[in-house]
Amino acid sequence: MVVLLSITSCEKDKLPKTVDQRAYAIETIGKITTVKNLPADTIIGTNSTGQPIGAGRYSFFSLETGQWISNADSSSTRWDLAFAGTTIRINNATSGPGAGGAFVFSGAFESLLSVPTDSVFRVDSHPVSYAITRGSGRAWYTYDGPTNLLTPIPGRTLVIRTATGKVAKVEILNYYRGGQTPSATAPDSIKTRDQRFLHFRYTYQGNGTRQF
Amino acid sequence: MAQSDTLLSMEEVVVTATRQERRLGNVTIPVNLIQRKQILQAGSLRLRDILQEQPGIQLTSNFGTGIQMQGLNPEHTLILIDGQPLVGRTSGVLDVSRIALAGIKRIEVVKGPSSSLYGSEAMAGVINLITENPTQPLLGASLRYGVADPDQGWGIPFKRNSFQQTEADLQATYFIGKLKVRHSNNLLFADGVSFRPFSQDRIPRPIHRITHQTSIQQNLGNRAEFKLLARYNQDRFQQEFSVRNNGITIDSYGRELNNELNIQPTLFIRLSEKIRLYTRVYLTSYNGDQKLRFVQKPDSSYLDRFEQRLFRIEEQVDIKKNNYTVTAGVGFQLEQANSTRYDALANQKQNNVSYVFAQWELNAGEKWISILGARYDHHALFAGALTPKWSLRYQAKPNLLFTASIGQGFKAPDFRQLYLNFTNNAAGGYSVYGTQDAIRVINELNRLGQIAELKPDFTKLTSLRPEHSTGINASMQYNPTPAITSQLSVFRNDIQSLIDVRQVATRTDGSQLFSYLNVNRAFTQGLETSLQWQVHKNWSINSGYQLLITGDKEEWEEIRQGKEYVRELNGSSRVMNKKDYVGLPNRSKHQGQLKIKYEDTKDRYVFMRLLYRSRWTVANSNGNGVHDIQDEYANGFVQLHITGGFPINNIISLQAGIDNLLNYQDIFYLPNLTGRTAFITIRAKFEPKQTKRINNP
Repeated sequence: MVVLLSITSCEKDKLPKTVDQRAYAIETIGKITTVKNLPADTIIGTNSTGQPIGAGRYSFFSLETGQWISNADSSSTRWDLAFAGTTIRINNATSGPGAGGAFVFSGAFESLLSVPTDSVFRVDSHPVSYAITRGSGRAWYTYDGPTNLLTPIPGRTLVIRTATGKVAKVEILNYYRGGQTPSATAPDSIKTRDQRFLHFRYTYQGNGTRQF
Repeated sequence: MAQSDTLLSMEEVVVTATRQERRLGNVTIPVNLIQRKQILQAGSLRLRDILQEQPGIQLTSNFGTGIQMQGLNPEHTLILIDGQPLVGRTSGVLDVSRIALAGIKRIEVVKGPSSSLYGSEAMAGVINLITENPTQPLLGASLRYGVADPDQGWGIPFKRNSFQQTEADLQATYFIGKLKVRHSNNLLFADGVSFRPFSQDRIPRPIHRITHQTSIQQNLGNRAEFKLLARYNQDRFQQEFSVRNNGITIDSYGRELNNELNIQPTLFIRLSEKIRLYTRVYLTSYNGDQKLRFVQKPDSSYLDRFEQRLFRIEEQVDIKKNNYTVTAGVGFQLEQANSTRYDALANQKQNNVSYVFAQWELNAGEKWISILGARYDHHALFAGALTPKWSLRYQAKPNLLFTASIGQGFKAPDFRQLYLNFTNNAAGGYSVYGTQDAIRVINELNRLGQIAELKPDFTKLTSLRPEHSTGINASMQYNPTPAITSQLSVFRNDIQSLIDVRQVATRTDGSQLFSYLNVNRAFTQGLETSLQWQVHKNWSINSGYQLLITGDKEEWEEIRQGKEYVRELNGSSRVMNKKDYVGLPNRSKHQGQLKIKYEDTKDRYVFMRLLYRSRWTVANSNGNGVHDIQDEYANGFVQLHITGGFPINNIISLQAGIDNLLNYQDIFYLPNLTGRTAFITIRAKFEPKQTKRINNP
């Protein structure tokens, strides 16, 4: 990750005053924190059949502290979400020692004002199933084969129970570096290079209630 | 009621609207008539060339070049040759670049549902190609050479990377006693050319095409006539190319061979002045064969084979009385198909259709004509279809005419939707099963413990029903002066039980299983206008425009209920508004053409056509599965074609032209549109002087 970050900052050296739209960044306005360009097991090469692959490394994130957590802390309760490609794991059960859980709410992020009391939080059962289901058209994204593009589904909000049992709501915004999905006609090399950079926004409720 | 490039006499005869010869000025539904002269003057080689210049017709580029009429998919337009259907569709698309125009006298286009006369597939309308009759002895030949160069803008002949197209045409008509014979031969050789970056795959592909057509006509006394049409078409595509993907080079060798045969004997008997009988037999076959061989990975090479045969016998009677005409018919059709994409190539699939149709035409006074008709198709494999139609014509004034019609159209499920058994291991692994196999195969997989999940749609899998539509068309024609014809039409189609692919189960390895269900309801509506104006004795202007609005009714309902979302510029979701919705994909809202022609009495002409199509959606780029203003579009475009020609003497004429003069190209969404193409055609036509005229009644 350090290597990647230094590459992106080199590219932007010519324009020192502007914000680097392609670098990892985090920004909080009011209740909403927005995370940009969080690498999620980015592509490092191809396997024997020519399929692009990553290194198999998760990026761990704490909704509570708003920090990208070191992989050394992967078996602690310091993280709430772990990202690798399209997989999002929560800190519970087969994924971690925490009290995490998640479910998908169909509706706009702003419209979710509290977590209903009868909500059922699911947990991971790696590698069979996950609280946030994998697969196109299921939890938070669709993948289109002909254009080879992955798009988060608008109007899907992930409701998260954190490692310490608090609640948060998360909306995935984009899957590509810079926050712009490549054009359908862009070459595969660009679609491969720029994918697995997650953009999401969230609201964390640390006071123990279920209101946002 | 005609739209054409020059003002047509209302005495022109058309057949498609009523299944019998009718004066153009007397039909109750608008017929767009494209005559041989227009085809020749436009320099059109194939059906797609001339159709792209017609009002209200859009071309699609998936699975060959398809026809979109009144906003319906290519599978919903029936394409006929002398009234009989062409077969050999890929994913519902009949590739109109396959059809050579040599030996075609005129093309009749009827929009709106016409299943009441023609049965399945005539939902959006009918395109009927009428072949030349052997009327007088002649010998004709033509040679055309065209060249384009996508890199330089102007093609340089015989250069290695230019796109060259050579077409040769040979026609002969001769009489043997009372037997009249006409042969048309057409040969086309075209290079492929690589427009796409990152790929040497050549689109358009290099092609060798040969079309042969023979018509035989024999008068059997005064009261009967026998006609035979035989047509054979062969397309051969062959190319070698290399693709580099992620640093790996794959050398491929591809070959496609398509053979099509149509045989059509017709017996016409005039029983009396008032009763006519037609006996029609039709045999057609289409064989498509595709091979792709990978040099580095010969084990993943594949062969794809598709064979389709259709046999039909039909009897039609026309009875004319003083103020009404009755047309009735009965027919039987047998259709067979084999494919490597079904369970096994050797297993022949078959469907039988029996049908009856009737039509009652009433001339109520000078001003009114009413036509009431219906057809019933009985299918061996699925539910029958009854398709009525009522059309009305009102001649308010000599220069003001109104027509209106309401009718039903249907499309029977095709063999693919019933029998497809296709697994794609390359793209993440998925399978598509036709409904006849889906339940059996999935139950068997379930028994073996290979099914992880049955989707709710699995329980809805039953026998497929035909797709149905109801279409309303209304039209007004007004001729303010004898030199001007203007027309305004409106249309609305409501389509039910559209067949769509849905996921019905997931295998334990995560791969998805799909099948076909009658699920969707959609609508298309719009208006079409045209104006023909003979500005001067040598100059004429012809323009057309279509406004098209479409939608999926379920999607529309979801949007009304606020259940669909789009994204703001910053990426956050918001509820979708009605005005964000653009309806069905791959449709242009606006489309039009402007044609200007100069033609003098010595048959010298210049013909200029300006075509416009507004942008259309090509990919869902915000993940909501609904097409909206945030999605990816192909750019709208303007194309300009110019041709000109003159006769050198009584026998030889020359034509030259430039297609796509503005050099518009879109390598991704209009892959078959070559850049600016210059061509020259030389034609020779020799008609021996007839010593005695053969027009005694």
